[in-house]
Amino acid sequence: MTAPSSGAPGVRRFVLALLCLAGIQFTAPWPGPQAVLNTFLVLGLGPGFASPLAGIAWAAAAGWVMEGSLRLYPHLGGTAFGNMLACLLAFSLLLRWPPHTLKPFWGRQAVLVVVHTLLVQGAISFAAGAHAWGYGWLWSLLLIPAWATLALRLHPPLHRK
Amino acid sequence: MRHRDWGWSPTGRRRWAMVALVLGHFTWMALGRGPSSRWQHLLNTLSAPPRMVSGHWELWRAGRRDRLGDLQQARRENASLQAEVSALLSTREAEAPQLAEAQEAIRLLGLKRLLPLDFQAARVIVNVRKAPFGGMILDRGADAGLSPDQGVIAPEGVVGRLWDVGGTQASLLPLDAYNASTGVMLARSRATGVLQGLGPGKAAIRYIGNQEVVQVGEPVFTSGLDRVFPRGLLVGYVTAVAPHDVELHVEVVLAAPLDRLGLVLVLPPHPRLEIQPPAGPVDASISAKQVTP
Repeated sequence: MTAPSSGAPGVRRFVLALLCLAGIQFTAPWPGPQAVLNTFLVLGLGPGFASPLAGIAWAAAAGWVMEGSLRLYPHLGGTAFGNMLACLLAFSLLLRWPPHTLKPFWGRQAVLVVVHTLLVQGAISFAAGAHAWGYGWLWSLLLIPAWATLALRLHPPLHRK
Repeated sequence: MRHRDWGWSPTGRRRWAMVALVLGHFTWMALGRGPSSRWQHLLNTLSAPPRMVSGHWELWRAGRRDRLGDLQQARRENASLQAEVSALLSTREAEAPQLAEAQEAIRLLGLKRLLPLDFQAARVIVNVRKAPFGGMILDRGADAGLSPDQGVIAPEGVVGRLWDVGGTQASLLPLDAYNASTGVMLARSRATGVLQGLGPGKAAIRYIGNQEVVQVGEPVFTSGLDRVFPRGLLVGYVTAVAPHDVELHVEVVLAAPLDRLGLVLVLPPHPRLEIQPPAGPVDASISAKQVTP
């Protein structure tokens, strides 16, 4: 596994990730937009870092901030773990099949949203037990044209062949 | 190449960091709700003995604190009660003479109601009866209209007669004085004689014929023949009877406690021979001994 070379400035991605993290913290009263920001950071920004370690670190940070702001579960860590796995999966897909066009990328992101949702909910169930799923995943799916387009614009041409 | 990717190279270190991050999260999750309850159970089991010891320790301390509180409270109550008891004892000791005199006055009042005579109450201020030529001194004298040979009685019995009367005081000749003589009669045989003193608390009856039947324990009353006492006042009880020539030697113990007298009643001079107790209920506890049999 080799890290993709980044043509975009790392600072811009870093700032966006930081803004997403702050957004996750401050959109705790609105779980829908919070889930969209989390998904964007995990599936859109995280796989674009030059190092997968940085990506999963950001994904884990997003999970911890999200759970910490929600304060719903008796034992935290499930969202961070699911975020890391989803970020690694997205990074592998991005590395193996770099996106070329927008709509296939939307479809891939939709599948990744579903997988990410299942991973996160499973990890939360494992860590904290039964819980409410909510409709954050639906928000993420419906807003794929927005955040996935932004993510693709941030990617090219780094993951395109 | 793969070996080098997982070795001590920047790429290998990053990979190991990723693995550590993921495994660390997984371990943390494994310590979550399900496993953590087991951990919690294990920790609870391990900490059970210290918790039990500390629980007993806290209970012991609470009990000790309560006991100390109770002990201190009991001590305070005890001190308060002791002070209260000592104050009550002091008060009782201070009021004891007044109480005794009040009780004696009540009994005198009952005796006064029982005998329809014009009594005068007097207080014994000096009692040197056991001294040579001793006697008793009353706080009444000629100023109260007293005169010699007036009879003096107490609720328990006859005391004696006035011997000498001064201006404000009078000397009393008790029945047990050697020079005292009083006309008496026996309760059962009605035999009359003269009571003469034999010393403290004792007297003897003279001039009782040896044909008389006298029993030990027989009450002795005044006969009234000496015109000092009316008939029927209790004098004492027969303690010994012995024939002596033509008469009986009858020893009598006096009924009146001559050593403890505080208040006495002085009879009027030359009272009637017979006195009849008033009709109706009389407080028997006051002077039942004074009733004529």
